[in-house]
Amino acid sequence: MAQSYDRGAVESFGRWREFQAGMWAWILHKLTGWILVGYLFTHIAVLSTAVGVDPGAAATEVDTYTQTLQGLEGLLIVRFLEIGLLTVAVFHILNGIRLLFVDLGLGLDVQDASFYASLILTALITLSSLPTFLGGAL
Amino acid sequence: MSTQLEQETEIEEEPTESRESVAERLSEKRREQIQEDLDTAEKTIQLKVFRYDPEIEGKMEPRFDSFTVPFHKGMTVLDALIYARDRYDSSLTFRHSCRQAVCGSDALFVNGQQRLGCKTQLGDLEHPIRIEPLPHQDVVKDLVVDMQHFYDQMEAVEPYFDPDELPEGELEEQRQTPENREKVKLSTRCIWCGACMSSCNIAAGDNEYLGPAAINKAYRFAMDEREGTDRKKERLRIVEQEHGVWRCQTQFSCTEVCPKDIPLTEHIQALKRESIKNNLKFW
Amino acid sequence: MAKHYSSFERGNWRWFLQRITAIFLIGALAFHFVTLHFINHAADISFLGTQARMSEIGYFSLMVTFLVAGAFHGVNGVYNGLVNAGLEGRQKQIVGTILIIATLLLIGQGLRVAVAMTTLF
Repeated sequence: MAQSYDRGAVESFGRWREFQAGMWAWILHKLTGWILVGYLFTHIAVLSTAVGVDPGAAATEVDTYTQTLQGLEGLLIVRFLEIGLLTVAVFHILNGIRLLFVDLGLGLDVQDASFYASLILTALITLSSLPTFLGGAL
Repeated sequence: MSTQLEQETEIEEEPTESRESVAERLSEKRREQIQEDLDTAEKTIQLKVFRYDPEIEGKMEPRFDSFTVPFHKGMTVLDALIYARDRYDSSLTFRHSCRQAVCGSDALFVNGQQRLGCKTQLGDLEHPIRIEPLPHQDVVKDLVVDMQHFYDQMEAVEPYFDPDELPEGELEEQRQTPENREKVKLSTRCIWCGACMSSCNIAAGDNEYLGPAAINKAYRFAMDEREGTDRKKERLRIVEQEHGVWRCQTQFSCTEVCPKDIPLTEHIQALKRESIKNNLKFW
Repeated sequence: MAKHYSSFERGNWRWFLQRITAIFLIGALAFHFVTLHFINHAADISFLGTQARMSEIGYFSLMVTFLVAGAFHGVNGVYNGLVNAGLEGRQKQIVGTILIIATLLLIGQGLRVAVAMTTLF
């Protein structure tokens, strides 16, 4: 055979409608993982305002750390981002537990059902946390 | 070999008309025959088949041909392809041999999933049926892909039985306990069709990844107690290399498509654990 | 092709450690969320409150372990993702080095912050 034809990534994301549970679980686990590690860096950056706080200011809650954090919490958008973060974290935890079981060779024949279960549980936990997260901001 | 190839080329170059409609170039007699088949069939089914031939002018550009085939109960995708080849276009190329899911020749991409043509019932599929060669492998012609890389990966895990000692007496059996046989039973079913490798998202991105079929082969021998412990360690060393088991992301794609229902993901995971156990045991 | 054999040094200790940190992080992350959103509302966080919590040795060491485990788990996950997406050769080395430096900086800054929040030292 002189040549052969390379169709490239014929089965890649263009075929997302055909993806099955295990594939979606992988995609979402990656995505939520990227968000969480990105947040970790941001989180430490924000908390860095605690370095060199003036003890006198801290006593009356007018130090940079307290003011930065409370200022951010006062923004509605931050509250919504926190809800997003909670959703992402909860899904990553639940699907992570699913993956640990898969690594142990347990429940491999219910891997799709356990993925759907982690999605539903994530939704339930997020919804029930809404009042706590939005409290005082609305 | 080369002269044979040239001959084929000459024969296939004969139909030079437009390829818009396959039926148009058929002889009157053949067309009547097909019409009769279609009229007497309980139902007809449309196939959309991937076509490509780098050696023929006018077929170098990949495209889809439509074939309408008569349907009868129990018909498989392979039966439909054979009908299309025999009645419409004798140049339609696909691999097949045993027609009973043993030889592993006819793994195809049917309606967006890797399936064995001879094991897939037409009645179970949505219409029209879209038939393509296996993804992530180079297409040689029509539905035929280059399987060399897949075979190389299979060879890489040294897929042959290699016990330390042979039983006394040349014709003596090499006995295995029923429990151990049970453990490797499903892994021995592999027919080297390549469906799993084609479905694997990681194998698609990393050409060096051993892939599900090869790892399953490694499992089949590594778990066989008749082989010695040193041989097992060597086998584990092959699969625990960088492009071995660790690449598996447990997407379960291979397990979903395996026509022999081998729990591929489970076997890959078992080898990961076996390897970790083996490496943690430093005493 | 499988010609190049490797040992525990390459590849699988990271796989193993990713699972070990995962088990710890499940508990730690859940605890972190509950403590700082449900028990103490995020909007009421003040430096004195943080300092009180971080001055308990148990809480302090949990948070420091959380930082180190989280940084490893996260960055290792990113690295694996990139390698699976086809990163190799020299590029892989460069990206790997950058990620190690970023992780060390993150842990270093995290420790500075932790020390600033506590009265333990």
